[in-house]
Amino acid sequence: MDRWYEAPGQPGSNVVYSRIRLVRNWKEYPFPSRMTKEQDSELTARLCESFKGIGPADGTKYRFAYLDRMTDLEKTSLVERRVLNRGIVKKQGTSGLILSEDESVGVIINGEDHIRIQVCDTGLKTTECYERAERIDDFIDSRIEYAFDRKYGYLTSYPTNVGTGLRVSVVLHLPLLSTWKNFNSLTADMGRFGTSIRGLYGEGGENFGALYRISNQKTLGQTEREIVDLVTKTAAELDQKEQNLRSDAGRRRSLARLDEVYKSYGVLKYARRLTRKDAMNLLSQIMAGINDGMIETKEPCSVFGLVLGIQPANLLRMAKKPLDKDELDAARADFLRERLPEIR
Amino acid sequence: MLCENCKMREATIKYVEVINGVKSEHNLCTHCASRLDIGQYSALFEGEFPLAELIAGIFGKTDSDRSRDQYAQVVCPTCGTTYEEFMKNSRFGCADCYSVFDPLIGDNIRRLQGSESHVGKRPAGHRITENGEGAQAAAEKADRQQSEKDAELPVAERIELLQSRIKGAVQREEYEEAAVLRDELKKLKEETGQNG
Repeated sequence: MDRWYEAPGQPGSNVVYSRIRLVRNWKEYPFPSRMTKEQDSELTARLCESFKGIGPADGTKYRFAYLDRMTDLEKTSLVERRVLNRGIVKKQGTSGLILSEDESVGVIINGEDHIRIQVCDTGLKTTECYERAERIDDFIDSRIEYAFDRKYGYLTSYPTNVGTGLRVSVVLHLPLLSTWKNFNSLTADMGRFGTSIRGLYGEGGENFGALYRISNQKTLGQTEREIVDLVTKTAAELDQKEQNLRSDAGRRRSLARLDEVYKSYGVLKYARRLTRKDAMNLLSQIMAGINDGMIETKEPCSVFGLVLGIQPANLLRMAKKPLDKDELDAARADFLRERLPEIR
Repeated sequence: MLCENCKMREATIKYVEVINGVKSEHNLCTHCASRLDIGQYSALFEGEFPLAELIAGIFGKTDSDRSRDQYAQVVCPTCGTTYEEFMKNSRFGCADCYSVFDPLIGDNIRRLQGSESHVGKRPAGHRITENGEGAQAAAEKADRQQSEKDAELPVAERIELLQSRIKGAVQREEYEEAAVLRDELKKLKEETGQNG
């Protein structure tokens, strides 16, 4: 079965994917940081038992895995594929993962909180993702008693998640908007309205691939619907701003842009060695090129799927042996040569 | 570069202040910077600079600086998390930590979240039914549990807790709740002979 990120993006939209995260805790146990080893394994086993039956109820196939029995490489590769958050890789003690076959729905058991429900999907589908997450939430709610407080709502390990426990994120591809002179003041303004923006990939202040994530800053004092609406509207607005800049640039310097896109394709398709930074920036050109109809692949292509594929842990996992930096860059070029579809 | 204040230690902190468009720059060592009164940021200069401390700095070490030391020893009876530990990791140990530390950090949660009360979804057991029974029953149950828990605390702490709750209620402009708490405090003081 195809993974959710392998679905091709929608032309004319710069939204790459939407993600919903809900955090919950079980009233009977202290939060994970204060649990004993015995409680760790007891809670994980009991919660997994409670989650049995979620598959038929949800109409999806799920598989279960113990995170503490996975290798660091497997876990890092799940972090790259957005299933796990980085914090959990180093966690000691029993914890579990319930993951749908297409990896769009994931529940982490006994991570930073007892339950972390995550739903991802391509495109601007925040509402659909939230509804799906809520169904899982209701399923568990009918089986265990959540830690809930009249004043503070759903109680969480970190007070930054308390209340709804909801984080709504939308990832956008903003190659032109992010180079726009007022981009910094735009992102600062967004903070005042309760959303934050940050680069998805990059090193030391430099962004690779022009992918940016918008998410809500606050989790308390707003209803779930309001939070979903806030992030969705902000994302739609940024998408529109990027689209305006792109059509403007397309009109003014169409040959220059066409040249950039085709040169990028050529390099990705024929290079023998690619650093992560170069590959990400070239894929960003292809993403924009396909979106603007400047280049057309013979088969539908998920550029974001390729972005995930060329991350180091995934390449190492596929190589099944340790690689040094040059070998990794070569493996990356091989991966892209093989996966990048032909163009018309 | 040496610290411009003590001229002894290496300056590791660059402090830029912009007041009404006038920019002034200071290069200081951590020691001198921590003595400098720059509000909540002072907390950051003590030792390392990790994110958790940054958040903890926003949480704990603001206007309640003076009272902080006396609270440092407050411990959650359920899970044993101390206020100090919370300040360090900005992470709670159990659900009860919220009510235990509420008088100390309620203001800071409000500052961080822009609100202090949940208005979203509720779990099945807390949902408001048509006649409001569900919510009321849950509320009463929570209140009962709360007062039972409070009753186990020593008198001095109970008085302190009530005082801070009154303060919180007044700040929220919930005067009815404040009045109830005030009466409770009065009664408690009379009972224990700590009047005046």
